[in-house]
This record gives sequence, structure tokens and C-alpha cells, in this order.
Amino acid sequence: MTDSHSTSNPKQKQVVARERFQHRALGSTHDQLKKARVLLVGAGGIGCELLKNLVKSGFKEIVIIDLDTIDLSNLNRQFLFRHEHIKKPKALVAKEVARKFDPRATIVAHHANIKDEQFNVEWFAAFTIVFNALDNLDARRHVNRMCLAADVPLIESGTTGYNGNVQVIKRGKTACYDCKEKQVPKSFAICTIRSTPSQPIHTIVWAKSYLLPELFGVSEAAAMNLDTSESANNAEEIEKLEKETAQLRELREAMGSDDFVRKVFDQAYKKDVERLLSMEDYWKNKKAPIPLDYETIASGSENIDPLVAKLDQDVWTLQQTFTVFKDSLLRLSKRLAEERAAALRENQLEPVIEFDKDDEDTLDFVTAAANLRSAAFNIDPKSKFDTKQMAGNIIPAIATTNAMVASLCILQAYKVIKGDLGRTKELFLSKANMTGDSSDLPNPNCMVCSRVMMRTKIDLEKATVGDLVDILKLELDYTGDITITTESSQMTVFDYLDDDDDDEDSLAKRRDTKLVEVGVGNGTSLIVLDGGDDEPRVDLQLFVEDMNAEREQALVVKFVFNDGEKPEIPRKPAKKPTEMNGTTTLDGEAQSAATGSKRKRGQDDEVEESAPAKKLQTSANGATQEDDIIVIDDEGAIVLD
Amino acid sequence: MADSSQSQADTQAPLDPTTMSNGANTELPVLPGQPQDPAGLMASMADPTMMPVLPPMQSISADEIALYDRQIRLWGVKAQEMIRNANILLIGIRALGNEIAKNLVLAGIGSLTILDHENVIEEDLGSQFLITEENIGKNRAEAAAVELRRMNPRVNVIADQEGIMTKMPQYFAAFQIVIATSQPFEMASTINMSCRMFNTKFYAADLHGLYGYVFSDLIMHSFVIEKDKSNIPSKAGTAETSTRMVVHVETKKENNKLREIVTKQEMYCPLMLANSSPLPPETIRSRRAKMRVPPLISCLRGLFDFQKQTGRQPSGRSEDLALYTKITNEKHLELQLPHETLTATVFRMFLQNLGTEIPPTAAFLGGQLAQDVINVLGMREQPLQNLLLFDGDDFKCPIYSLQPVFDPSLSMMEPLDVGMAPGMGVNGNGSMPTTNGGGPVSDTTQMQDDAHQAQG
Repeated sequence: MTDSHSTSNPKQKQVVARERFQHRALGSTHDQLKKARVLLVGAGGIGCELLKNLVKSGFKEIVIIDLDTIDLSNLNRQFLFRHEHIKKPKALVAKEVARKFDPRATIVAHHANIKDEQFNVEWFAAFTIVFNALDNLDARRHVNRMCLAADVPLIESGTTGYNGNVQVIKRGKTACYDCKEKQVPKSFAICTIRSTPSQPIHTIVWAKSYLLPELFGVSEAAAMNLDTSESANNAEEIEKLEKETAQLRELREAMGSDDFVRKVFDQAYKKDVERLLSMEDYWKNKKAPIPLDYETIASGSENIDPLVAKLDQDVWTLQQTFTVFKDSLLRLSKRLAEERAAALRENQLEPVIEFDKDDEDTLDFVTAAANLRSAAFNIDPKSKFDTKQMAGNIIPAIATTNAMVASLCILQAYKVIKGDLGRTKELFLSKANMTGDSSDLPNPNCMVCSRVMMRTKIDLEKATVGDLVDILKLELDYTGDITITTESSQMTVFDYLDDDDDDEDSLAKRRDTKLVEVGVGNGTSLIVLDGGDDEPRVDLQLFVEDMNAEREQALVVKFVFNDGEKPEIPRKPAKKPTEMNGTTTLDGEAQSAATGSKRKRGQDDEVEESAPAKKLQTSANGATQEDDIIVIDDEGAIVLD
Repeated sequence: MADSSQSQADTQAPLDPTTMSNGANTELPVLPGQPQDPAGLMASMADPTMMPVLPPMQSISADEIALYDRQIRLWGVKAQEMIRNANILLIGIRALGNEIAKNLVLAGIGSLTILDHENVIEEDLGSQFLITEENIGKNRAEAAAVELRRMNPRVNVIADQEGIMTKMPQYFAAFQIVIATSQPFEMASTINMSCRMFNTKFYAADLHGLYGYVFSDLIMHSFVIEKDKSNIPSKAGTAETSTRMVVHVETKKENNKLREIVTKQEMYCPLMLANSSPLPPETIRSRRAKMRVPPLISCLRGLFDFQKQTGRQPSGRSEDLALYTKITNEKHLELQLPHETLTATVFRMFLQNLGTEIPPTAAFLGGQLAQDVINVLGMREQPLQNLLLFDGDDFKCPIYSLQPVFDPSLSMMEPLDVGMAPGMGVNGNGSMPTTNGGGPVSDTTQMQDDAHQAQG
């Protein structure tokens, strides 16, 4: 059996003392990981832990990338950072600090966005393994695609409070990030926000995304109303909302005048509430709201110091709330007036004030404005601290969960590096325990990983649409019945249906159009759809790279085959109608997480490694965790963040 | 009990099992190396029959709220205040100790004492991130403390370079929680019993390469769980498990939903008893269930016994391997586990990993243990009861409640007072009240009051 204490084994003699334990525990895996090239995407909570584990585990070549800078609220868990590092780029500081964990490791840091075009598929393909330590869906999905395209294994992870998860993604072997639908951000019907609030979050969204922008920002309502094509049921309701919006806009004119506060107050908490009361049917079975009276509240709050706004853990009384409302409204008005004057002098665009959870003026205003509305609607008020979390989409984050998740990422990486994918697991961490399932197989109907992916070198100066179509026919045996679109903007590059028309001139013109003119550039992703009726092929995804150095060759479009071999593009599986990759919300609108390109996450940078959690829980202190807030009107979802 | 390693310990160490067995009656000398006590915890801990009564709390500053924002949003300001007032001892600052210390310091505990008498050697650089090459030859605790202080200047980090063997039992009185890492079984058990004398909560943890464990003895611990009220309301007096009881229930209304604030109490047994206790009945009810139990538990018990018998870890020598295999097989049988699960591969893997430390296992166990400590300090969430095993090769992390078997002949005994625990525990006669969760009834009211104070 093992004889670890023996010094007679010549192989053991070569192991330096600091590697002795790893070598004994991991054997040949340890030798393999020393040769690996690692990409770490994200230097936040999980990223700091991962970087430490990677360097200490003996990985010798690590590239780390993060676009963020260090903030005070990071320091409770992102242990590579200190007070003096605040406002510095995370990636660069992490690299400097982690170097001393093992001076023999080479760490390269990029203070950049992983979506930048310089980080193309070719760049990804140079890594042995990639770790995601991200805080948002969009970047996660991007790295997922790049790793699938480059055929590099990806360790995906996330945490939310006590919960966390780790997943191993390898093209063709395990499920990808998009194989399972992701939790769709929480959404509210517009009428709930504007007319029938029943929970604190409703009044907070109203204050943050409706009242504040109406007074100090770009009017969302104006944009929204363009969208509301009349649906018979709520035409009347929408008309009322529009009227109300018009009145609020008039208020903006009154900014700076002596009775501005009173006018806003009366409009928001008296007239508006009275309007809602007139919907008598609605209040038959519910407690009706009570309009607030300015005089009554104002007279009771004359002696309150506006510094009460600093008491962010307390729930303010109605009078305190009023004082903060008045004070923050005046602060914001003054700011906007000054910014306007400055903009006018320097001939700049009309300034606006938008909600920022770290901007005290806006947070005070939203807290107070929301709580006044809550008072009218008999909803429990919230402290400024809680309001900040709900309005700012703050997800609780702790050092321990991040440490455990990062640890599991490394243990999974050992299996990947050993070539033992069958023993990787999908792991979940919760308050109570850690559980694991075997890694899932790829979903054959996944919109992302069922595609065949291929790097494509294109001479962007010369190549035309026709060149691309021709090489697809020639090299990959397409019939020509294909549609090519750009993935991000969904622009049509080529459509065989148009190609069929008899107008020789326009056809020739289209084929002769340069690819750059139809939106193709370095880093563009193109989707080739097989339009053939019988057994169409699965979609083909081309990742465009500028030919650069290899230009001058006769070939202006060239595929890069992963194994040097032309890949087989399989036929699409017969689709069962029920297996659409989407969900249905309460109001019956189908929302597909995988295809919903209209949807975007707001303020992603503020969300800490939010786990695509199966088990999102109500946070322990009772405050409900709110993910992104979306207001839905009848025509679709609008992100109000 | 008297084997070579212990008699050696007798001559040089005040802290050894023999002294401890009648420790409750021993006049204790003044302690060497007593840590400073900035939070004035000593005074409040003077009466060992009381639950730790926390000193009056300063309200937490705006700066601290900003720094700890993301965790306060998880466990609340009151828990953070209790965390800030905590005085914790960490014994052994190797890879696992590094992780535990990092997590506790980041969380913002009041004071952390790290005790380690050894000097940094080159092997330590493999997994210990708090030290660098320059620290080789220097005391491990001193070296790590420097980096920890930088990590969070608000935490009072004290390095104690003395050996654990030199410590008197009283040393543990000042701490709310003592965490012993990388200690052989006898030493861990002795520390455990010393802690019990002063009502100090105790954790033991160790790692061997891809494997590791965490054990907890919180003596008696009250904690609060907040949840939506279900159809079946929680009721005070309900015994939820053989060790856990609901002691108080309150309801509050939040957004028109009823929430329950449930105060529960867990009763613990010391390491010495847990180590000879069977697996919980549900774990060995069926063959299927038994097959799921990682043989790691037998490997660990085998290791503890080997250490007891020889005073060291098994080496690669064939006589050591034979003895270790024999003991471990016995432990496996004793635990009623099927012999098929204790394969040659299991032995080979465990022995290969024995005594080694690697970063991910240290990070996982350090995260688990520190989070449990944080929750215990904040008196929130279900704490570990009482053994967590980690298998980083197979991604398994089961928790087993190991409790001494109830002996009816002892049921007539008076409810155990916490202060009496050490003497009784060392007898190893299974006299801990563990079977019905009834616990010491007389203490229940006191516990409720404490819990209320904690909630505010």
C-alpha cells in the first residue's frame, strides 16, 4: 500500500516540500494541474476565494478578468481587498495580493469586460479550464457560449446568502448553462404598481421607478404609453393613468417654487389616491386606501430634525417620514436646478437624477415617498436599510458560502483535469447541507448547446455575403436554403427566400455586399439556419475572427475546425411541442429565458454572484429578496431598473 | 487510559485527561498566557451555571453597518452585535485554521486568540495562505496574526505561542467558543471537557487531504428560527428530535402574513461520548441506508483509536497498517455498517490522504465551521448536531447526530446541570440527558429569558 514516509522513492524526492501534501493527496492530478492554463472570470466574492485556491493548489498559469472596482461593502468577504484598495480595479489588486501565495505562479490580470471582442473564441480556446465567478446572468451566458464554442470545460458557480451552486459544463458531455431555464426576474403588473399596491415592494417600485423619474428623470410613463395599444378591458384605466401622468409632468414646472412640496404631496397622496378610490368595485372586498392630508401631517412634523434620515435601521413615524420626504425632495430639486444651470452653461444635455442606492438623496426620497404611499394603502412601512435592499436589488453575501462554493469548484476541477467527467456533480449548498446530483446531460432542445459551433476566419476587407454562402455550400454541404443572421442584433445577413426572387439585379447586389456592411465584424456571432423542409440540420453558429495576418490568401472565408476535422452537422431532433424552453407568468405571457433578447438585467453589477438558485429563499431577517424588477404592461415586459 | 503518550503528557502538561477527570474539584492555579479581555467577557462568564450572558452592547456604528452591509442583510444587526462581542479561541493554525480564522475575522468577531506553539515549515506554504516564505522558522500563530489583523483591523487578534499542553483548564473560561483543529482525539476530548467546566462551547475539526470532519459540543444552545407560520403551528414543549426541543413560540404579522419566531434548544454530548455512540437509528434502519454512510466515519474512529493506543498516526509500516486496518474494521462493525463499503480502495485513499492538507478541503470545512460559529454567536439558525463528515472525492457531506444510547437505569438521575457536565462526561457512563429532549426543565425558563434578550 502507500508509503508516503518513504524517502527511497525517487519520484517523491523531486517534489518540493510545499507541494508534498498536494502530491500525496492528488497524485497524478497534481502534475496535470501544474500544466493547466486557467481563466478565472470575476474577482468578487467567489473569485477571490477561487484565486487563492488556484494558486495554492499549484495551478501555475492563471488569467483573471473583472471590470469592477472595489467597494467598501465588498470587504466583508472579498478577503484579498483592504480599505486602501477601495475604488481600485478588482482584477489588478487581486493579482498583486494573490502573487504572494506562490511566487512561482504567473497571474495575468485584465481590468476589462469579458464580453469585449478581444476575448474571442480563439482566445478562450487557449485555456485548459475556465471558472465563472460572475454576478449576472448575461455574462454567465456569454462565457457559457464562448466555452462551448471553444470546447473548453467551464466550472460555473454562484451564491446567494447561505445558498450556492456549482455546475460543470463541457460541450456534448454535460448540460450547459442554458440547458435549463433560469429563474425569470420578478415582475409586477403595471396596475399593481400604479393603482393597487398591496406589499411594501409595490410602493418602493412606485417611488423608485415612477415618482422619482417623473419628477427628476426621463419620464418612463411617456414611453410606456406609446406601447399601450388599446385592449378593451383596461382602456379606461390607461386613460386615467395618462391623465395622472400629465398632471405630474405639470408639477415639474413648479419645481423651485414655494409650494412645490405641497403640490407633489397633494398630487401623489391625495388626488391620485382619490382617483383610485373612485374604482369602487375594486375596494368592495379590500380595505380602501385613505388619502393623506398635507396640513395634518405637516403640522405634526414641524419640530422634527431632517437628520432623522440617518436612522436607517428604524422604521420612521409618519411625521418623520414626511420630514424626510420634504427634505429630500428639496435636496433633489436644488441639485437638479444646479445641474441644469451647469448644463446650460456648457451646452450639454438636459440633466436627470436617477435612482442609485448609494446616493443618499435618492434613497431618502424613495424610502419616504414609498412609506407615505404605504401609509395611504395600509401597507407596512420599511426602514431605509430594508428599502435600500429592495430598491437596489442587493443580494446578501457572506464569506463562508463563497469559500465553500469556491472550494467545490476546485474539487470539480480536479475531476475535469483528470478526465473524470463522469464523477463531476451538480452541487447545491444551502443553510442545512450540501447535496449533489450527477451532472445532467445536454438538453437536446437547448437553444444554445444543440447548435454546432465553429470559429470562422474572415477577411473583413474583402469578403462578401456571397463568399460566405458559397463556402457554406462547398465545405459544409449546405443546399443553399439557409438564413444567416447576427446573433446579437438579429440582423439578417442572408435569406434564401429573398434569394429566390427573380430580380437578378438586387440578388447580385445582395451577394456582392461586403459582410462588414451588414453588421459583421471581428467577434460577431452568426447563426446559420437550415431552411430545408425535410430533416433540417441543427443551427450552426459561426464566431467571426478577422483574418488579419493570414490575409492576402485567396480564401476570404475559412472555417477553423476544432479537431482539424470537418464536423458533422446533425439533423434536428423531432421537436415535441411541449418542450419549449420557456415559462409562463401569472398573466399568461410566455417568457423564454433562453431566447428573450428583449430582456435585460438592470444594475447587474450590484447583484452579488446571484445564484441561478433553485432554492431562492426568503432572507433570514424576513425581508423578501427581490430580484430584478420588471413592470409588465399588456404588450410585454419593461425593465424598470 | 494510561498509555505511554499520556503519562508523558502528565509530567509536562497541566491540561491532560488525568487532571481533568477530577478537574471540577481541583483548585486551579493562575493561568499563564491569559489573553486580554477587552470586551469584559470574563466578568460575565464568571458563573459557569449560567448561559453566556452577553455584556451590554454598544450599538453598532454606521461605519460598521456599511462594512458589514451584505451580511447584516442576511442575519440582522442584533446578530452582528453579538458576533462583535464574541471572544473565540482557535487552537492550531494550519490550513484549516487559516480558513476558519479568515472567515471569523471577516465576519467581525470581537476577539480571536490563535494558539499554536509550532514554527512555520516549508510544507505549511502548500495550503496556508496567511503565511509566506519569509515566515519560515517563525511561530505560526504570530505569523498568521499579522495578516489577520490587516484583513480586518476591527478585530482584536491575539497570537498565543504557548503549547496547548501548558494550558490550565481555566484558560478556556474566557472564551465563548473554543475551536480545536488538528488535535489528536485524546487532546481534543480533554479540551472539550475543560470547556464544559466553564460552559464554553466547543468544536473539533481536522482534515486529511480530501477528507475531513467537524464536531460540535455546544453543551446546551438556544437559537431562534423565523419562518412563515404553517398549518401546524409550532408549540413550546415539543421535542423535535431526541436532542432538540421547542422552548418558546411567538407570532408576528408581516405583510398580512403570519410569521413564527421559534426559540429552540439543542442538547449536546461531549466528543468522548459521541465517539462511542451509534449512528442515528434512521441512518442504519435499512441496508440501503447503511450503504449510504461513508466509510470515512469508520476510518476516523479507527484513527482516533490508533492514536489512543500508540500516541501517533499510522505510518506506512506494515505492522501499523495491520493494526489500523484491524481497528477500523472493528469500528465499522460496531457502527453496524456493511463490510462491502470498507474496501481496500477506501483504506488506500484514506491513508494516502492522512495528515495532508489541501486548499479546497480546508476551505470547505473552514467555511462550514465558521458559519456554524457565526450562527451560534448570533443565536440564529439550526447549529451542527454534532458530526459533519466531508468527502471531497465523492462530494458528500452528511451530518450525523451521534448520541449515547439511553440507559433506563439512569433515567432516575436528576436532570443534569450544565456545570456538572465535565466530571460526568469523563466517566463516560452515558449520563447525558439526550434521549427525550426533555432536558433540564428547571433551566427552560432561564433559557427563554436569555433568548428574549437576544432577540430584543
